[in-house]
Amino acid sequence: MSTLHVISHSPFGDNRLSSCLRLLGQADGLLLCGDAVYALQPGSEPLRSLQASQLDGRLFALDEDLQARAIAISDLGQAIDYPAFVELSLHYDKVNSWL
Amino acid sequence: MKFAIAVFSPAHAPSSRRALRFAQAALAGGHEIVRLFFYQDGVHSASGNVVAPQDELDLPAEWRAFVSAEQLDAVVCIAAALRRGVLNAEEAQRYQRPAVNLPAPWELSGLGQLHEAAQVADRLMCFGGD
Repeated sequence: MSTLHVISHSPFGDNRLSSCLRLLGQADGLLLCGDAVYALQPGSEPLRSLQASQLDGRLFALDEDLQARAIAISDLGQAIDYPAFVELSLHYDKVNSWL
Repeated sequence: MKFAIAVFSPAHAPSSRRALRFAQAALAGGHEIVRLFFYQDGVHSASGNVVAPQDELDLPAEWRAFVSAEQLDAVVCIAAALRRGVLNAEEAQRYQRPAVNLPAPWELSGLGQLHEAAQVADRLMCFGGD
């Protein structure tokens, strides 16, 4: 059973991202939105964690949140809009928001 | 597919806006929303008394228009609402409070409505955080 994990808190304020990466299954996906896109900040520790987690094809970020913070996702993952967010939530068996 | 959408954050939080945009995109994509459930600080999005700054999005007004236009089942958790002073006419009278700030199309009900929606829907989407 695959799960899409959704994180919206900054990785510099708590350990949701590191906890999530520790729990992430082989088939699970990760969507960064809101302040969580700061995890993609170049040269940062959270970015190194993401790069080390082998998330090929399983890492996504909400495009408008990337744009609002002038952050790029490069080839590490995929920027998605709201229609793609809806489809992504259906692609996985369930969705877990890290409230 | 059927979605249940739960909002945990207050109207001024970015995640509340994301919940609305997601809900709009879900309907636009031909999907169904079986229920919207406003829980914890999310109940503030149902308040008719929120005044947004002129240059900002009036999220409670957007939710109201969206729910009315799409005739959605929009439930506000009664326990969370009462403790935050979000009252409909019935509750304001029951507890003898001076104001009513939960107009239509919202409905006050219990947490069981969230549980039921989660059972009926294909996906439960929770929105909270920043």
